[in-house]
Amino acid sequence: MAAPEPPSSSQKVIIQLKATADAPILKQTKFKMLGTDKFAKVIDFLRRQLHRETVFVYINSAFSPNPDELVIDLFNNFGVDGKLLVNYACSVAWG
Amino acid sequence: MDESAWDGTLSASELSASAQAFAEKWKLNNPAYPPWTWVKSLKVPIFATIKVEEGYLSLENVCIVKSNDDEVASCVEGEASLCDKEDEESTDSATLVQTSSGNDNAQPYYFDFHIIYSASFRVPVLYFRAYCSDGRSLGLNEIESVLPANSAKVLLESKWTFITQEEHPYLNRPWCKLHPCGSSDWMKLLFQAVEQAMELYLVSWFSVVGPVIGLSIPIQMLKEP
Repeated sequence: MAAPEPPSSSQKVIIQLKATADAPILKQTKFKMLGTDKFAKVIDFLRRQLHRETVFVYINSAFSPNPDELVIDLFNNFGVDGKLLVNYACSVAWG
Repeated sequence: MDESAWDGTLSASELSASAQAFAEKWKLNNPAYPPWTWVKSLKVPIFATIKVEEGYLSLENVCIVKSNDDEVASCVEGEASLCDKEDEESTDSATLVQTSSGNDNAQPYYFDFHIIYSASFRVPVLYFRAYCSDGRSLGLNEIESVLPANSAKVLLESKWTFITQEEHPYLNRPWCKLHPCGSSDWMKLLFQAVEQAMELYLVSWFSVVGPVIGLSIPIQMLKEP
């Protein structure tokens, strides 16, 4: 008999951050977070780590997730190899 | 298509094709909102003898209710008119999508959104206007204050989404627009990660632009069919 599934509220999601364009590369690129956290948490984290007010954050499937989206939903739909790959860029040419 | 050489822009015909794909996906995956419709506009360039059929995507009568405690309810009223933009008779079937708990001070605002191709930037541009239930148009500052809290945040924090007031290219009335400069840069980034059909341009584009004006794309719409 299979063990009961852990409640989804405790499920963690592995996020892998990838620098693109000329964004600085973080020392640590893999993180675990609660599935029930919003994507906004990833965005805020990046802004603090990179000391930038604006960070462009996007997923490998060519879109920028809504900050209100739950990380677990993003992972379930777009995760690859057990992680959610999140790209980030800082300076988008302004003109 | 050589991904590394692509500059993030697209042609007018690519935008039309993408608009169709976008509208279809939206209709399928976002039933709480009215569908986007393509409005044809015949424009005769000066010195030309051939009429060039252009058009744009339109989503109108989107009702946004912002109550005092910053909770936002979105309701959908009426149907987007197809081609006859003078048609005021819309069926009044308001559907409350999400509501804040009983706030009498809630004031409904109505938004019209148009996605129009910019030949100079070679990208789509979002034009929009807002008005009260008595028909009064909202000024730029007012619009920024009635947008949902999240989108106001995005506006403030993002340096590539800012709103200007301009004359609508077809309707010749003042509308607000989300300035397109920078769009090709982040579109290039979005498409760099994975091989994408140009048809999906608008879906990707809208994922960035939508949240600024309080419209979001459901996850299902972003998945490949």
